Amino acid sequence: MERTLTVVPEDGLHARPAATFVETASNFDAEITVKAVDGNRPAVSADSMLGVTGLGVRGGDDVRLVAEGPDAEAALDALSAILSTPEDELDDMELP
Amino acid sequence: MTERRLEGVGATPTVGLGTARWYRPVDVTDLGEPPAPESVDTPAERERFETAQTEAAAEIEAERERTRERVGDSEAKVFDAHLQFLRDPQIEAGVDEALEDGLPAPHAVKAAFEGPIAQFEGMEGMMAERADDLRDIRDRLLRLLTDSGRTDLGDLPDNSVVLAELLTPSDTAQLDPDAIAGIATMKGGRTAHAAIIARSLGIPAVVGIGQALEAIEDKTEVVVDGEAGVVIADPDESTRTRAKESTQTSVIDESVSTSDGTEIEVAANLGTPAEAQPAVDQGADGVGLFRTEFLFQDRTEAPDETEQYEAYREVCETFSDCDEPRIVVRTLDVGGDKPIDYLDLDPEENGFLGARGIRLSLDEHAELFESQLRALLRVAATTAGAGLAVMFPLVSTVEELEAALAVVDSVADELESENIEYAIPELGVMVETPASTYLADAFAERVDFLSIGTNDLTQYIQSAQRDLDRMSDYQDPLAPAVLRAVDRTVQAGHAGGAWVGMCGEMAGDPELTELLVGLGLDELSMSAVTVPDVKNAIRETDTEAAEELAESVLAVDTLAEVQELL
Repeated sequence: MERTLTVVPEDGLHARPAATFVETASNFDAEITVKAVDGNRPAVSADSMLGVTGLGVRGGDDVRLVAEGPDAEAALDALSAILSTPEDELDDMELP
Repeated sequence: MTERRLEGVGATPTVGLGTARWYRPVDVTDLGEPPAPESVDTPAERERFETAQTEAAAEIEAERERTRERVGDSEAKVFDAHLQFLRDPQIEAGVDEALEDGLPAPHAVKAAFEGPIAQFEGMEGMMAERADDLRDIRDRLLRLLTDSGRTDLGDLPDNSVVLAELLTPSDTAQLDPDAIAGIATMKGGRTAHAAIIARSLGIPAVVGIGQALEAIEDKTEVVVDGEAGVVIADPDESTRTRAKESTQTSVIDESVSTSDGTEIEVAANLGTPAEAQPAVDQGADGVGLFRTEFLFQDRTEAPDETEQYEAYREVCETFSDCDEPRIVVRTLDVGGDKPIDYLDLDPEENGFLGARGIRLSLDEHAELFESQLRALLRVAATTAGAGLAVMFPLVSTVEELEAALAVVDSVADELESENIEYAIPELGVMVETPASTYLADAFAERVDFLSIGTNDLTQYIQSAQRDLDRMSDYQDPLAPAVLRAVDRTVQAGHAGGAWVGMCGEMAGDPELTELLVGLGLDELSMSAVTVPDVKNAIRETDTEAAEELAESVLAVDTLAEVQELL
């Protein structure tokens, strides 16, 4: 199961949004990877902070999420929501 | 001595004058040659690493809590990132590999971080700052592994200007904002963690000055001009005077009036008692909204009356040096979106249009309401509590208000019969539902004040839920429907003899101050950081011109036209 979407937080997946992203990803059983669509970097595991921040993804970039496992769909929903929320509204989000 | 000017990047709109104190942390990465692999007890080294990792996590969590209390949730988030890096599978695998190769724990840590740090250093913009985060985490582990002492940044003499190559998040978490007159660093950008924290604590900061900063010696007198982005060593008399003046104008401690003499109270919104002192430091006249939910959240049972009494009194006492401070405490305002485990709230039933706020306090949580009022009435009888005011959230009928006032009376009778000292504080209604704007006249006849909560009021008037991104176009408090509701509330409140304040986000925008003065608000309450800007904006406002602006804004029918006029 996969999903491609555009990253909304203006500064991309730097410290704060990435921490939320990685923390959420590690709460699911599904194996999840993330890749910058335009970059030549390989896909990284969504529960690795180094991997996720190392993608260098900025606001407006497209990313592809791939998830395998029983709760793959829920994981993709939650992670898409994080990537679609402006950084200053992230704190108010309800996360699984 | 002639003054020396160093250019950098200004990170705060403030200016400070103080004494230079160099912060030079011990270089913990200088480990020397590793011992021969065969002499290393690898399982013991692995255990050493795991212990250091656990200790590091505990330190980071403590710094996160400290930052959360002093600055805020979003600034504390950087420590969540550090926790994630600390336990990153790739780093752990790197350490493991190096341990297998026969390195002792410190050398293994250093080796495992090397690659990732180099990778981030090669990236552009904000991503390059992750290299600083990784160094911070690595050095923390090395410090714990090698038992190196920590240079204490929390214990600087007053009026210190901290000079450093770079301040990491862990360094910044130790800073005592009261003792610091400014920060100047060789590296770092406007978006670096230290710059963000300095901004929220109101500490003047200039970053990215480069090697040139090293020329400033310890104990030199320095001006840090965060607005112009310069650091001036050995300032001459005129520079010092200017710096002192701008330090003073950045925070206005006294109450302010418009240019024609109308006094407007500028107060702070607080979420915890810890935020009270920073609010005093920013020159807040009092508190316009003290949210009490913090006392009830993140625990397994409700706080008792004594604990509440102490918390409310603490805030009043923090403001006791101000001139007749008014402290508006809002009674418990919970609903399904602000869950509290032991209250058993249902997201649906207690949602934005459900049982929340005063509706719960008058019904299933009447006991909590009574104990909260008991604590408040007792604080009102203390010297520090003389300016206490109590505000009820989400009132939408006169029946509710009368029921709430009846509880105040019965709690007072109860205290009277128990021979416990109490006083009835000022009482008010938070105007945040359309119904309450229509009933503002009836409310004003029954209470002392109204305070408009523009965030919820906008949501309800525009019928657009606050947390829905798709509805963001509807959530502008400048929407004509919202402005007309505000106008109506102020007029009706004044007609009924109540003062009218505003405690939504709108109140803290200095660009809207003139409009709000023109609409006739008596008090504006906001995040503490915006207090100085709003006070300055009030001083520049002429009431007559402001009233004309308000009149013209109320006369147009679309948001676009309102924005045009502002």
